[in-house]
Parts: sequence; structure tokens; C-alpha cells
Amino acid sequence: MDYLWETLPFLLILVILLACFIMPLFARWKKEVAPYITLVTIVITFGISIVLAYRVAGGEVISYAVAGWPPPWGIEILIDELSAMMLVLLTASSLFIAIFSFHSLHTEIPDQATGWYYTLYLLTLAAMMGLVISNDLFNVYVMVEVVGIGACGMVVAKGEKLSTEATLRYLMLATLGSGFLLFGIGFLYQITGNLNFAYVAAELARVHDQYPFLIWATMSFFTVGMGVKAALFPMHIWLPDAHSSAPSPSSAMLSGLVVKVYIVTLIKLYFVVFGFELFTETYMRYLVLFLASGAILGGSFFAFVQLDLKRRLAYSTVAQIGYIFLGFGLGTVWGITAGLLHIIIHALMKVCLFLSAGAIYYQTGNKKVTHFSGLGYKMPIVMASFTIASLSMVGIPLFGGFITKYGLALGSLEANNPYFIILIVLSGLLNAAYYFPIIWQAYFTSGHDITMTMDAVPKTMLVPIVLMAVGIIYMGIFPGDILFFLEHFVVRFL
Amino acid sequence: MELSMLWVNYPYVISIILFSMGCLCILTQHNLIKKVIGINIMETGIFLFYVAVGNIKGGVPPIYDPNLPEGILYVNPLVDVLILTGIVVSFSVTAFALAIIVKLYYFYGTVYAPNIIRMR
Repeated sequence: MDYLWETLPFLLILVILLACFIMPLFARWKKEVAPYITLVTIVITFGISIVLAYRVAGGEVISYAVAGWPPPWGIEILIDELSAMMLVLLTASSLFIAIFSFHSLHTEIPDQATGWYYTLYLLTLAAMMGLVISNDLFNVYVMVEVVGIGACGMVVAKGEKLSTEATLRYLMLATLGSGFLLFGIGFLYQITGNLNFAYVAAELARVHDQYPFLIWATMSFFTVGMGVKAALFPMHIWLPDAHSSAPSPSSAMLSGLVVKVYIVTLIKLYFVVFGFELFTETYMRYLVLFLASGAILGGSFFAFVQLDLKRRLAYSTVAQIGYIFLGFGLGTVWGITAGLLHIIIHALMKVCLFLSAGAIYYQTGNKKVTHFSGLGYKMPIVMASFTIASLSMVGIPLFGGFITKYGLALGSLEANNPYFIILIVLSGLLNAAYYFPIIWQAYFTSGHDITMTMDAVPKTMLVPIVLMAVGIIYMGIFPGDILFFLEHFVVRFL
Repeated sequence: MELSMLWVNYPYVISIILFSMGCLCILTQHNLIKKVIGINIMETGIFLFYVAVGNIKGGVPPIYDPNLPEGILYVNPLVDVLILTGIVVSFSVTAFALAIIVKLYYFYGTVYAPNIIRMR
């Protein structure tokens, strides 16, 4: 029993991979069982993540040497505060998305693919969890590739012209990104002779004066490689097509979770491997700050002109990624903590919004934002959740988005750079400019003969949306615990 | 920093050239198959870089042999193992990309990207 307790971090991924590899059997012969197996697997991993997060909250940093080889030689799994938070977020969100896909999946992807879709779903989830807990550079590369291929598969599963085309573009750019990442890892191995994060960091701290150009090159390779995958502003061109043409559960997964794990990895590379001093000395911090500002403004402007709801949400993701990077670029305790908190809150908001878009499409078949008039009375529950998530996006107090905007504003004051407050307020207004017309149409343009009907979508689709909305409000009112939890992680590296 | 260093470490130079060629291929070629070839050229450049990192001049393969003289240098086997994984990944990405291109060919009847965009 003690042995099982020790191997808990490894079991986390093993359980999902096991379910993932037996899934093709069911996909072939008993398709209707596949969603239930997915659900059970994710519930088990959710339980394990909660236990791990509880242990981490008790002040423990869980380290596990895979196959019994200690760190400099073997692969190490390390669960710190950030990883624990990401584990809980990943399992909880993907649980809700899996529940949503129960009765909606067969309307969006071909019938014979539904069983196989869950294989991809679990594979992507397992790789994402592996990515956030791994403490080894090459393991990171392998997991990044698995996430990339799994995510591409989840887009192409729809089997339409547009999604196939978007997948090819995504795959090409993702491969380009992981090529840069692999080259950067090669540079780091050449400099330090180690692959473990902690050992590389210790070695880098000793020798970084000898290789100024090589370290600069490595850092820019990592920024470009992961920036392409995380859709940092000028490298976001694959995102809108891929996220808007995918089936709704995939869109929610891609926009809410997949993009985030790359950011978490990048932040670990920046702060754990290179350290904050090198991050500033190589001017990479200012580059990140510059790109993030571009992302916030550019993403919002592009979102403003889109008429397709899912495309608008996809461009909004580009802008929100900018907020997360803005926090890192500010480089103060409040800024980075707010950036990390925004990873959670944006995941909640985007999953809620994309699932709502899926539910709206399921009931009405509407994709254009100009056809939503009176929708607030046809599907009141979905539109209420959509409204909550939109208000949170804009940054109204009492909703989650406000907390990160407030934190970022405090961070920019801490960094003696109050101009960024103007940027934050401006982008809040831009968000309002493209979210409020949808809400206005849904509630106030239906004329006089209003008849209220309840949503005609299955309950399995309503429950995840409502729970996500509740999560947003909870984060807006009681953010203290999680902020404190994340601050522990941040102050260790500043 | 003398230029002769470039000549001595020529595998690095070649790997950088291959990597840049591959990147350029992916980003500028219009033919989708050529883009996939670009991916492979890029990854080959990276593999060459890794193998060059592990190589030691005058080193022998890392297999223990009691007949070898004392103090002989072994080539670093770790990077080769890493690259084995890299080759598998590159192979699967190539297979996946080609499968998607076949699907696109069924939809549009061409693998030339501008034609596909025009037909959309």
C-alpha cells in the first residue's frame, strides 16, 4: 500500500494511458461504452490529482524517479504548486468536457469515429498531464509532440474540408515549433550536459557567463518554439482556423487547456531552468512584454471583426494568452501570480463559452453572431452562463476575470510601469465591444411577443456549462486560497 | 572567435544550414508534399546536431571491452538514444501529415496550396 502511495504521480498518467490503449477495442465493437470508460478514467485521475494537490498544499514537493533511476540519470517527475494546480484544472475541465460530449459528439463528427475520438481525447489529456509534471527536458519534448499530434487529431476528427485544412496548417506549425524546442534542448544539453531541470539550472548558474550568445539563442529558440504552440501574437495564425473548425468539445479542450500547458512549460523553462536574472538579462522579458501587448490589442481587434461566434472566441483566446504573458513580462510577484491565475480563469471562461457555442449550435444551428436575437428566452440557462463568462472576460467585479485584471494592474504598478494599466483598461473595453452586442441581441432585440421556453438540449450538455459558470463566480469571490497557493510557487523563483 | 572554428566544427554548420533550409521549405513552399519534405530536412538537421554533440574525436563506441587500453574515450550514447526517440516522432508526424494531405487531395483534387485556398 505504501508502494502504491509512492507511485501515485506515475499512476496518474498510467491509468489514462491504459484506458486509452484499450479504447480502440471498444471503438471497434462496443461504441456506446466508450464515453463511460472515459468518464470513469477521468474521475479516477481527478481523485488522484486532488490527493496530490492536498499533499502539495501541505508544503510537500512531490518528486518521483521513474523506474527507480534517481534524477541525474533517470526521468524525474516533480509536482510543485503550479503542477498540482494544473493537474486539478486539467482533470476537472476535461471531465466536464467529456460529460458535454456525451450526447453532442455524434452530431459533430462522423458516427464511426466517436469511439476513436475518446482515444485521442485521453491521449491528449495524458500527455498534457505528463507535460505539466515532468521535470526533464527531453521528456518535455516527447510530451509536447504527443500533445501536438493528439490535438491535431481532435481537430481533424470532424472530417470536413475546413477542419482538415486547418489541421494541416496546425500540424506544420506545431512541428516547426517542436523543431525549435528540440534544437534549444540540444543547445542546453551541449552547455550543461544534463537534462534534468534542477541540474541544468545549477550548471547554468555556474557557466552562463561563458556562453552569452548561445544562451540568448537557446532562449529565443524556446520562445519561438513554444510561442508558436501557445499562439503568442505574431505566431497565432494557425489558431483561429483550428479552434473554430474543430468539434465543440475539441475547441473547448484546445482553447482552454492545450494552449495553457505549453505556457506552463515555457514558464518553467524561463523561471526554473534559466532563472529570473537570465530572463531579464537576455532582454527576453521585454520581448515577451512587447509581444503580449501586441497580442492583447491585436487579438481583440481581430475578434471584433469576426462574425462567426467560434472564430470570435478563438481570436479572443489570442488576446487572453496575451494577458498571461503580460503577467510574466511584468516580472513582479503580483504580475506573475495574476498571469498564472489567469491560466485557470481563462480555462474556465473559454471552456464555458465554447461549450455554450456548441449548445447554441446544437439547438438552433446558428453560427453567426448576427442571428442570436431573442436567444436569451429560447435557451435561458445557456445564455445566462454565456453572459456570466462574457462579463468575466470583460472584467466586471465579482467575476473571475476581474481578479486577474486587478492583479495585473497591481503588478504593473509594482514594476513602475503604469502604462500597462491603460492597456488593460483599453482591452477590457474592446472585450466589451465584441461580447456585449451578442448579449444585447440575445436579451433585448426580440420584439414584444416574448415567450419563455427552457433549453431544448440534453441535461448532460447543460450541467458542465452551468458548473463552469459557477466556477467563474467562485473564482471571482474567493480567489484568495488559489492566489496564495500560486504565490508560494512564484516567490521561490524571484 | 576565429573562422577556422567553423571549419573544425563543420557538423554544426551543416546542421544549422539543414535546419534553416527545412524551415524555409515549410514556410515558403506551396506544394504540400514539399512542406512535408521540409519537415524531414529540418528534423534531420537537428538529429545531426545531436549526434555531433555526443561525438568525441577518437572515441570508440560505448560498449565495454576489456581489451581496450586504459583511459580511452567512449562516445556519449545518451544523445543517440534521444535521437532514436526523435526519429520515431518525426516518422509519425510525417505519416500523419501525409494522411491529411491524402484527405485534402480527395476533397480538392490538388496538393497545391494556392489552388486549395482559391477553391475554398
